[in-house]
Amino acid sequence: MKNFRDIERLSAYLDGQLDAAESASMESRLKSDPELESTLRNLRSARGILRQLPQRKAPRNFTLTRQMVGLKPPLPRSYPIFRLATIFASILFLFSLSATALSPLVSFENAAAPAPAFGMGGGCEDCEGAPAQEAGPATEEAFAAEMAPAATEEALMEEAAPLEATDEARIIETPSAKEPVPETEDQAEVIEEAGASSSFNWTILFLVIAVVSGLMMWVLQFTARKRWR
Amino acid sequence: MDETALIHSAQQGDLNAFNTLILHYQDAVFNTAARILGDDDMAEDASQEAFIAAFQSIRSFRGGSFKAWILRTVTNACLDELRRRKRRPTTPLEPETSDGEEMDSPKWLADKSMTPAQKAEADELEHAIQHCLDALPTEFRTAVVLADIQGMDYTEVAAASKVPIGTIKSRIARARLRLRECLRSFEELLPASFRLDSENTR
Repeated sequence: MKNFRDIERLSAYLDGQLDAAESASMESRLKSDPELESTLRNLRSARGILRQLPQRKAPRNFTLTRQMVGLKPPLPRSYPIFRLATIFASILFLFSLSATALSPLVSFENAAAPAPAFGMGGGCEDCEGAPAQEAGPATEEAFAAEMAPAATEEALMEEAAPLEATDEARIIETPSAKEPVPETEDQAEVIEEAGASSSFNWTILFLVIAVVSGLMMWVLQFTARKRWR
Repeated sequence: MDETALIHSAQQGDLNAFNTLILHYQDAVFNTAARILGDDDMAEDASQEAFIAAFQSIRSFRGGSFKAWILRTVTNACLDELRRRKRRPTTPLEPETSDGEEMDSPKWLADKSMTPAQKAEADELEHAIQHCLDALPTEFRTAVVLADIQGMDYTEVAAASKVPIGTIKSRIARARLRLRECLRSFEELLPASFRLDSENTR
């Protein structure tokens, strides 16, 4: 009985896997050891039997289709640009749309709070009366102060009458109290209109870009797929 | 067939070039799968899977023997299939003793109690050899199929099996020994030139 180390070496010798020195040593042993030589014949027979096995033919062709390997048609270089444009335009469109939808709520909140800035078009409906009310008492106090000495001197009473009339006229016609109101309304309307029209235009623009880019992507894909067939 | 040019084209994504390579190697691939798995249907599936995997990873091919590379792929597919089969066995592959323990395959195949009907099934030499191959442990069978049936050298077999050459050397020797023992029971089927010497290496 040969040990497995010998059998392993014999098998490697059979396949020409031993180096020159090992092969020479094995050959000399084979000449002097009939049992070793018999083992070699058996190993050679086993190998020969396997080698003479008929090669099995493939029962069908194993050629691959594009679907099998998940191949997609090569797209033109401009395709990623349109894809990027579609993504960005869609995001901006949604952002713009939501901003437009939320703007009335924001305006309402500003209107409820006291309008800090004059003429900013915060939707202040009382703006028309407010300056008059503010100007009113101040003018009356000044008027009262002026009238106080006039009340004690009768002589001046007559003079005071036209003065009073003049002051009243001045109070009524105070330009600083009256003039800003129509300006504020106009500005507010202009700003609102400008804001509404600009946000509307941007929304439409983003939508158009998104749709056009998306269509271009589809056309490029369709063309590439058609050409690929 | 300019194999290098076809491989290069396939690496660039040319499926037609790869299909030309498939047509050239599909018999070798199927034959290897059939010998390792011992089942034509499974071998067909493994071959197809191997070609798909090969196309998807052909960029990793860095030259050398394309045949060895593709056989390595199909060997992996076969081993995966065998692992799957082991996880979901349908019928016991090995006969069991009364205690429920697996019997050693070569002994079972050489068993004198093998019925004439069973022997008749293994009447043809090819069936007998396949029978003996199937009885080998997977790693021995893979090594001997690649080396003796596909004619790969030890280095290629080692690369395909991802084990050292020394291990391959040992596996091939053990596989041949076991085959010799197994084929002894089919001696009458063997051609005269392949008749085995009397048992003297035990």
